[in-house]
Amino acid sequence: MAQGASLAAVVAVWAAVVNARLFPGDIVPSPAAVAGRIVGLALSADFYGHLRVTAAEIAGGLALAAVAGILLGVAIGARPLLRRAYEPWLHYLAPTPKIVFFPVMLMLFGVGAASKVSLATLGAFFPIVLGTISGVREMDPVLVQVGRGFALSPYRMLTMVYVPAIRAALVNAVRLGFGVAVVVVLLAETKLSSAGIGYLIIDAYRHFDMPLLAALVLVLFGLAILANAGLARLARHGAPAVSR
Amino acid sequence: MTSPEPSAPVPPLSGDTSAVVGWTAALRVMNVTKRFHTGREIVTAVDDVSFDVREGEFLSVIGPSGCGKSTLFKIIGGLLGGFSGEVRVGGRSIQGPHRDIGMVFQEESTFPWRSVLDNVAFPLEASGMGRAERLDRAAHFVSLVGLKGFERRFPSELSGGMRQRVAIARTLAFNPKILLMDEPFAALDEQTRYLLGDKVLQIQQATKQTTLLITHNIGEAVQLSDRVLVMTYRPGRIKAVVEVDLPRPRSDDVITSDAFARHVAGLWRNLKEEASRGLAESEALVSGGAG
Repeated sequence: MAQGASLAAVVAVWAAVVNARLFPGDIVPSPAAVAGRIVGLALSADFYGHLRVTAAEIAGGLALAAVAGILLGVAIGARPLLRRAYEPWLHYLAPTPKIVFFPVMLMLFGVGAASKVSLATLGAFFPIVLGTISGVREMDPVLVQVGRGFALSPYRMLTMVYVPAIRAALVNAVRLGFGVAVVVVLLAETKLSSAGIGYLIIDAYRHFDMPLLAALVLVLFGLAILANAGLARLARHGAPAVSR
Repeated sequence: MTSPEPSAPVPPLSGDTSAVVGWTAALRVMNVTKRFHTGREIVTAVDDVSFDVREGEFLSVIGPSGCGKSTLFKIIGGLLGGFSGEVRVGGRSIQGPHRDIGMVFQEESTFPWRSVLDNVAFPLEASGMGRAERLDRAAHFVSLVGLKGFERRFPSELSGGMRQRVAIARTLAFNPKILLMDEPFAALDEQTRYLLGDKVLQIQQATKQTTLLITHNIGEAVQLSDRVLVMTYRPGRIKAVVEVDLPRPRSDDVITSDAFARHVAGLWRNLKEEASRGLAESEALVSGGAG
């Protein structure tokens, strides 16, 4: 309700700014023009092809980062010595913009999807591994002892004790990783690519098609909201109604 | 009734006496010593401890806080290495956690994300048992500890005593040869502690479950045990072995009898000196730290 009202207010201000001609009309397009382009995108098969490319790159990168981040995060988090040895380095490396590694990825994996997936993996890995480590550090140590006492295999320790015990931390970490993967993939697509939403955006800019540019950004925004809501659902799914 | 003075110290059992006296050792602890390096000094937590737990017996290890009981618990359960000596189950030396030993912890240890039934089914699921079979078995142990009707509840919806019953049922479902418990009732109030102890005793008597209980509670040790080992305060050694020759079942009449009180008093005489030493040492530490 309040969210809908704030959205309407933003659109109204936007329309007023365009009507008042505060900016040249070809730089700031009207809401109606942008809405028209969004409909146009929704009806074009071409757009869905690019969307699939971007979505696959993000999903692939996030999946690889999640597997690597959770495995390493539990391995490091569960051992105080490893934690002291590696956690500081991970913290130092985490804020480095991963796009600086794009040239390396291009040389290793080429201009296609693989260079974007590997970059997204690298980007999403850090928040996921750090989130996992802190989740493991904060979990109740007796739960690990229970698992060990029942002589669980390492695989069962991971799936039956660690992952469910730190579920909330993991979902948060994956959400953070998702955000980084989106940024990294789109940025890489605008630099050097022949497909994807990032490519469409930079292509619209090259042709000075501002309504299309704005339409793409808004569509992207909407998709990010949906994906985030999906991940939030994942957090609630299967968790007990009451927590201790 | 002329029962032997329960406080009479008996030397700890050593060597293989099982053939002579006609029982078999389910668990043998042989010359176990554990030292901790705390930076400045070396603390001997457990010093040359040896004892046997007989098949079907309820044995308690009692000692003051800081006597190394919990260290001993972790060593026997295979959660703590770096000790000298040996722990043997079924005649074989064990390294690390062992299938034959089921542990119950002092702390809150139920899995908060699992229902009561799924908590109890945990060790069965971990060993790869099919869903229908393990839930069936788990339901049996849930009702055994008196939690029938609570199968679908989560630990957060239960009292502390109920949660500890879930933990005990979970370990019983593991079907261990030896039930190893570290002050499982310590966090509970006195009445709950007594009733839950009685429940555990009933189950143990019915199943002849070999049980080793670590405790600091004298009444609990007398209520439950066939024998009680008394440990000294730091370094933890075995000071005495006390046979609790009270009749079973340990009904209210037994619990309130003079013989019961004599056992409690005898154990207290054994423990008092150790507890006093522990208290004096921790007081010295506090005043030393403040001064």
